[in-house]
Amino acid sequence: MWNARGYYLMFLPVFIYVLIVYYWPMLGVRYAFYDYSIKNFEFIGLENFKSMFSTKDFWRAFSNTLQISVIKLLITTFTSVLVSVFLNEMGNMFAKKTLQTIIYLPHFMSWAVVAAIFTLFLSKSSSGFINETLKSWGVISKSIDFLHSKDWWRPIYYIINIWKETGWGTVIFLATLSGINPELYEAADIDGASRMQKIWNVTVPALANTVLIVLILNLAKVMNLFESVFVLYNTRVYKVADVISTYIYRESFMSAIPNYGYTTAVGLFKSVVGCILVLICNEASKRVRGRGII
Amino acid sequence: MANEKTAYKKPKKKIRVFDIVNYIVFIIVGLIVMIPIWKVVVDSFNAVGVYQFKFWPSQPTAAGYLTIFTTSKLYKPFLNSVITTIIGTLLGLVMSTLGGYVLCQEDMPGRELFSYFLLFTMIFSGGMIPEYLVMKQLGLVNSMWILVVKHGMNVYNLVLMRNFFEGIPSSLYEAARIDGCSPMGVFFRIVLPLSKAALASIGLMYAVTVWNDYSTVQIYITDRDQVNFQYMLRVMVMDGDTPTTAYKVSQSTLYYAAIVCAILPFMVLYPFLQKYFVKGVNVGAVKE
Repeated sequence: MWNARGYYLMFLPVFIYVLIVYYWPMLGVRYAFYDYSIKNFEFIGLENFKSMFSTKDFWRAFSNTLQISVIKLLITTFTSVLVSVFLNEMGNMFAKKTLQTIIYLPHFMSWAVVAAIFTLFLSKSSSGFINETLKSWGVISKSIDFLHSKDWWRPIYYIINIWKETGWGTVIFLATLSGINPELYEAADIDGASRMQKIWNVTVPALANTVLIVLILNLAKVMNLFESVFVLYNTRVYKVADVISTYIYRESFMSAIPNYGYTTAVGLFKSVVGCILVLICNEASKRVRGRGII
Repeated sequence: MANEKTAYKKPKKKIRVFDIVNYIVFIIVGLIVMIPIWKVVVDSFNAVGVYQFKFWPSQPTAAGYLTIFTTSKLYKPFLNSVITTIIGTLLGLVMSTLGGYVLCQEDMPGRELFSYFLLFTMIFSGGMIPEYLVMKQLGLVNSMWILVVKHGMNVYNLVLMRNFFEGIPSSLYEAARIDGCSPMGVFFRIVLPLSKAALASIGLMYAVTVWNDYSTVQIYITDRDQVNFQYMLRVMVMDGDTPTTAYKVSQSTLYYAAIVCAILPFMVLYPFLQKYFVKGVNVGAVKE
């Protein structure tokens, strides 16, 4: 132990930091069992959980979280795989590299920026890029208020996610594809396989394992959905867009008489579900690739 | 011979058609990504707001940018963003290199314990409200330093760093130790100089996270002197809440110029540092 004192000293700042920023808040989960508002602070047992489970808005937020996260994950993974497979077929290295540079770009924009861009583009006013363009093409006759419409909000949300994350999602798939043994393609050539046959029988199966890993890694995070929804939703689409984290935020910071006890309870529920998902996905990951995700 | 020739020609013809279709599809994909970005840039230099997509501004002006960098309520948030990003990145790098280095010392007693101590934070968290209450006690509510503290260390990045350090041949450590180098000496003289690529990748990850953070500011900060640029952009575009109305610039020009400023640092660095951005992902995910 004494010989390792140098290492302990180096670990000390990390230890203190993690203790304060990560572990101290964990003590705060006890507020979930309190009535904690500006005036009041008293132990009430499981009352917060009882009122949580009997609140319609909570269940709506919970089911929205699962639906939006999972559908978003499936769609963006699918588009990423599609783009990687065909990008892999590009012979011209310069074109391939240029395209990669372009499609990775949106990933580095913040959600605040992406929301600003698409709010301006989708606006109903006469300067709204999308509405006016569609009108001039004769696709629609009247402007649609996309982000304020219950029917349109989710499709638009998924499209924005595809635009932002598809490119970056290809990084991991392209890395896998570059590792495929070229002999497989040569063997397929000798068998007289066409280009599409080679894609379907060599490239796609090679990706299967990576796709599974990506899905597992991201399934562990489905409860974390927050900022992307937070910057795009509004009072008129709560029904289809409100998720757990935005619900906690509103109840704590936008409410006239916030009950921190109640919102901590909702947060604790979210953490516990998230924790279970991580452990399940960790187990799944161990089976698929021989090592966990944590 | 003749037979072989025809057999060789056939697949080649197929390849041509496929390639043309493939290139056309990818030109479209590239345009779908680039058109919104290009439109934002063009409109930020255009004095009038137009809905159409134009390759070049019809009435060129730099008024949007001039307004941002001469109005203190707009350039101060920008400076706040720059300061918090630089300090947050440095703190993040110090913490994750120290932690990553200690965690890869296999003969150190208590190594497992340290690992579990860190990994537990990836499984469970106190949640938004307990975190808020702790930060309030630390006096970080309504202060831009919350951005530095919240992102000052990311356990995932620390693990990436450890994975990278584990790739350094241990014979180098041994040799240095035999020469009488202390743990600290090995860290500064051997590990860090060999890890420039990892430092660049992980540093960029921290920088992007801090610069792009909007929700932390929305939750913790109400004082307009302390907000970052992402927040300012958001309140301008969404709430139409521009700091003053006495601008000699159209609203849309100002909005688009603000969007460009909010992405500018990384757009400028990105073409040069793309390989470091990509490396971070691959170190973490494809290490089989």
